[in-house]
Amino acid sequence: MRRTTAATCAALIAALGAGCATSGTSETKQADAGAPAAITWWSTGGDDESAAFQKAADLYSKTHPNVTIKVQTLAWDDAYAKLLAASTSRSGPDIISGGMTWTIQFGLRGGMVDLRKYGVEQLRAQAQPAQWKSAVSPDGTIYGIPLDMSTEALYYRTDLLDKAGIKEPPKTWEELTADIGKLKKSGVKTPFGIDWGNLDWIGYFNFLYQAGGTFYTPDCKPSLNTPQAERALSYWIDLHRRHGAPTDTVATPDALGTGTAMVYGGNWNALGIDTSKPELKGKWAIAPLPAGPAAPTTFIGGRAVGVTSYSEHIQQAADFVKFLYTDEAVDAVAAESKARNIAYIPPRPDKVADSPFTPEHSAVFAEIIKTGAAAPGCPGWDESASDVAKQFQAAILGKADVKTALAEAAKVMERNAG
Amino acid sequence: MAIHAAAPRRRWRRYGTSYLMLLPFLGLFAGFLVWPLANSLYLSFTKFDGVNAPEFEGLDNFRHLLFDDDRFRHALGNTFLYVVASIGIGTLLSLGLALAFSGSSWPHRIMRTIFFLPSVTSSIALMLLWKWIFAPGDFGLANTVVTWFGGRAVEWLATPGLTIPILVLMSVWGGMGYGMVLYVAGLNTIPQEYYEAARIDGAGTWQQFRRVTLPLLRPVTTYVVVTGLIGAFQVFEAVYIVFRGTNNIGGVLDSGLMIVPYLYDQGFTHFKLGYASAIAWVLFLIIFALSMVNLRIGRALKEL
Repeated sequence: MRRTTAATCAALIAALGAGCATSGTSETKQADAGAPAAITWWSTGGDDESAAFQKAADLYSKTHPNVTIKVQTLAWDDAYAKLLAASTSRSGPDIISGGMTWTIQFGLRGGMVDLRKYGVEQLRAQAQPAQWKSAVSPDGTIYGIPLDMSTEALYYRTDLLDKAGIKEPPKTWEELTADIGKLKKSGVKTPFGIDWGNLDWIGYFNFLYQAGGTFYTPDCKPSLNTPQAERALSYWIDLHRRHGAPTDTVATPDALGTGTAMVYGGNWNALGIDTSKPELKGKWAIAPLPAGPAAPTTFIGGRAVGVTSYSEHIQQAADFVKFLYTDEAVDAVAAESKARNIAYIPPRPDKVADSPFTPEHSAVFAEIIKTGAAAPGCPGWDESASDVAKQFQAAILGKADVKTALAEAAKVMERNAG
Repeated sequence: MAIHAAAPRRRWRRYGTSYLMLLPFLGLFAGFLVWPLANSLYLSFTKFDGVNAPEFEGLDNFRHLLFDDDRFRHALGNTFLYVVASIGIGTLLSLGLALAFSGSSWPHRIMRTIFFLPSVTSSIALMLLWKWIFAPGDFGLANTVVTWFGGRAVEWLATPGLTIPILVLMSVWGGMGYGMVLYVAGLNTIPQEYYEAARIDGAGTWQQFRRVTLPLLRPVTTYVVVTGLIGAFQVFEAVYIVFRGTNNIGGVLDSGLMIVPYLYDQGFTHFKLGYASAIAWVLFLIIFALSMVNLRIGRALKEL
């Protein structure tokens, strides 16, 4: 019976949201710009993150006494559905933040404001170029701007590398596979693993861009039918099948703790390992991902923040979103993040060195971000991502060859681009 | 004339308060069940992305669903396999447990409580536990057991061939206590005289079970199978929680893709709410038809 309840709930949400939507998408009445504005911001993430963003909101209210901003937390698991329901019923928050491409998705459906009208383009110079590009729609509309960054690093066990006679972490694909061999010889059972996107497109992303490939051409045509994409997929498959990278995902701290020597993991892991695995203290470090034949590149993700089209205080909300890029706002969020020990990388590369990580870790992240690439903001990508990942899985599990898998993936992307 | 005018008034005086008291329920029932259902039926004939107004498309969603959609067919196949296995094994084990622990002694009560516990525990918590049990590497419970016996650690959640067996295991383990309680209640309604009479006629234990217990438990079996069927067809959390961490919905290569997770995927990650509604109605029709068949079989057997 319990299973029935959950399913009923899902159906109810769908039906309720749907019913409200039939009212159509009329223009929302704008309150007077000078009148007091109570703005709500639905922030996807944890309560600690909301608290950190609230600090920036409070700072803004100090100089704009008419405006109060309340940051509310949406859990990642159901944020998308809740935001969709809000968008559908045209009632809900003034500001939303969530997955990097969400604002584009909602924006294309009329749920978000084009922030260009409110002068956000001047922030472009301060942002990480690839990440900014991924937040902008292909037609140039800016429905949201990056709120923070997440990226990936090579986590490694210094003691295990030492034992295997490896002086420094691998810098290229060749060195990575060579080191895996050395580690195996020295008795390490699992020399290498991938935590973030192990069998998913994010895992492939790094290798694809390191090999000089991309998911889409600059004008958003699927571009997986290339030698670069094949080379990247072959290498990724080898890591799993020939070099013993587990296909199942093990969280970075657990992987390092159980003797995996090198792990590709998200930046947020850097804060938790010493507390969750005290026995690893002093025995691990991070480095940029090994570079591919084309370039050193790493995936950059993060959240985007934007203003909803049904907000009654669009002017003020947009002004506040702009404020989030000022030194004082970034510093306030960073300080609160540090106090709460949460992994926050500001959307401004020049500020990454002050992020809540140790100075050595911050330096590594700052270096990674210089050459970072972000997910395509092309139409249909969100819809395609999971089906594309299935093709990669088929290749890794030996159910399809590299060429066919890539061709099928490109087909999916083409169909959804329509 | 006077009589006619007085009748409704008298009826109102008599039943009025009852109707008034029913109103809140009727309001909620209409608002939260009838109306959404009607709306979902309407949406299943439209193309609707959640934000723009729905466009009427007739039977297009159903046509696409039934004839062009490979993922749906895959989900349907997975679901049938899962339903048959989990209901079959689950019902047998429920009956077995009920036969073993139907008494009123303390040990029996304690065992019944233990087996019933999963049914009253939050399913989300249970699923998270299963996820830990099947954690990869050397630290999941399942792998620890495997290594005790000298086996190699298995990547449980990332091996497509293991997905359905794991889902069935989770379902059977979680549901057999519930079935057991129903069977125990059923067993206790069977008069002891029948068994005595059977024994006098020379029936052995197996014959007593086959000729007395099983036929008299038929209504319980029908109930357990039909409710189990409805639940199993709508499996969601198990797939969503346990396998999503390994990959996006459906697990590796969609090996655990079922109808409701697919509905969720279409509705809430692909914004195809009209299509998702069509899936919901197809699911409803399947469950409805199977339940009818089941009840019919139950009735037919009774008439024998």
